[in-house]
Amino acid sequence: MNRYLSNKKAIALFLLPALLIYSVVIIYPVLQTVYRSFFNWDGLSTATWNGIGNYRELLEDPLLITSLRNGLIFALVLAVFQIGLGTVLALACADPRIKGRKLLKTSYFIPVVLSVTVVCQLWIAMYDPAHGLINRLFNALHIPYQQNWLTSPTVSIIAIAFVNAWQFMGYQFSLLYAGVKSIPEQYMEAATIDGCSKWMAHRKVTIPLMKETYKFCLIVAITSGIGAFVQMLIMTSGGPGTSNYTLTYMIYRYAFMESNYGYACAVSVVLVSLSLLATVIINKTFDRNEA
Amino acid sequence: MKKLRAVLIQTPLWIYFVISVYPLVWMISYSLKNNDEIFVTNPFGFPTHFRIENYTAAWSQFNIPRYFMNSFVVSSVSTVLIILFALMFSFAIARMRWRFRESVRLYMTIGMFMPLQVIMIPLAILVRDFHLTNTYGALIVPYVAIGLPFSCLIFYGFMKGIPGELEESACMDGANIYRMFLQIIVPVVTPAIATVAIFQFLSNWNEFMLAYILISDEAMKTLPLGLLFFQGQYSTDWGGMGAVMTIASLPMVIIYLFFSEQVENAMTVGSAVKG
Repeated sequence: MNRYLSNKKAIALFLLPALLIYSVVIIYPVLQTVYRSFFNWDGLSTATWNGIGNYRELLEDPLLITSLRNGLIFALVLAVFQIGLGTVLALACADPRIKGRKLLKTSYFIPVVLSVTVVCQLWIAMYDPAHGLINRLFNALHIPYQQNWLTSPTVSIIAIAFVNAWQFMGYQFSLLYAGVKSIPEQYMEAATIDGCSKWMAHRKVTIPLMKETYKFCLIVAITSGIGAFVQMLIMTSGGPGTSNYTLTYMIYRYAFMESNYGYACAVSVVLVSLSLLATVIINKTFDRNEA
Repeated sequence: MKKLRAVLIQTPLWIYFVISVYPLVWMISYSLKNNDEIFVTNPFGFPTHFRIENYTAAWSQFNIPRYFMNSFVVSSVSTVLIILFALMFSFAIARMRWRFRESVRLYMTIGMFMPLQVIMIPLAILVRDFHLTNTYGALIVPYVAIGLPFSCLIFYGFMKGIPGELEESACMDGANIYRMFLQIIVPVVTPAIATVAIFQFLSNWNEFMLAYILISDEAMKTLPLGLLFFQGQYSTDWGGMGAVMTIASLPMVIIYLFFSEQVENAMTVGSAVKG
């Protein structure tokens, strides 16, 4: 049996296709990105060594501040909207008295399966200053809050982040709902017998027990914020001006529009470091509370 | 009092139901109207006169069938390859006995934590150097690689749980290792294959960023990319634009409605793995 399962030739054959394609397409490019971030390189001619020059230049790039700020706003909108509202919806939906649960769950999830292009274009129409649903709604309710959602330098980043939050709400909702459902009903019963109100019982029992779910939801929200790109590209081309730039938008512009590959690689390294840092911090914070 | 409370709990759920669904209803309804109805006479309500011509025009004038075919080829070929390679890899890691399997497994896991942005630039250059630009391969090869770490982890989890007696009896019966893999192991993990297939097909079908960077040829564009083109063309014809968007969304929404439970499970199974 042992010899049978340690057939060297078979092992190599089973591993080879996956390892080869994974190493060439994922690992090699990651190493290349780090290595090339220390060069001046246009992607074609020979690269010249630049030390930490790219990083030094990056620190003085005004786009970096804009991008970091936008990434942060994007992440916050996702976290507050998806996790905050998602929790309320998941707790309400898990209530045994709810009718039409299946319909609700299904309808929340539909936007998740749509293409991001469709969703962005739908919301371009929704945000249209003259004919869009949003301004017309404010109009109908006589609230003087109509505005040019996508062309205002201050509001547009929130409007764009909201589109992402709306599309993937169903995803976070499913995770949270599964989290709520995984808690044994006896816990809730015990808490209510002890005189807790339902709301109190959720706050003291359900939510603390869903720590693992929250950890994952938060990591998803924060890293999507740091990496945001497609919505800006489709809805405002990063504008007005450069006000909706994000780190990924910088990479896209420097690499593929200006052929400044070395510099773009430095931005990539910053992006991946921030994502990993955020993941580690969230993990550490949640685990420390355990002790 | 009890009644009131039940209503109070229901309210936020149905409000969000409207927020989630009404934009889509609005899109479908304006896809059946002309500009006059959308902008002036009937902006909110259901269409009074179904203008199917928006759909026939959208389908015949533009490359929609072509985009559909490209998306279908790219998504299905890469999904099949991901499943095949990931099954083989996980089998060698989970069931076979050799020295470095734990390190190789960790090596594969690293990929789950790498955002696309960090491989994007060298990948674009690789695709160019291998002369894959504007071919199906330009998307299939990266999609396979990106899908592997996650799929391997799912299969690994399933295969770890298979009892050893199954293998022993296969060994007694004189089946060689390849037959054992195909006839014993693969059938046992079928539920995992379904999960991975749904997840990968959906993510590849909707993938935008890599396609945007790696494909420029009109004839090779996938659906999410092709739709972008209408934005410029159709910006004043909302009815036509709505029709294009509805056509493009329909297949995925139908698949989802038929398999909603499985799709939700497949999409959220990652939470058990990452984190």
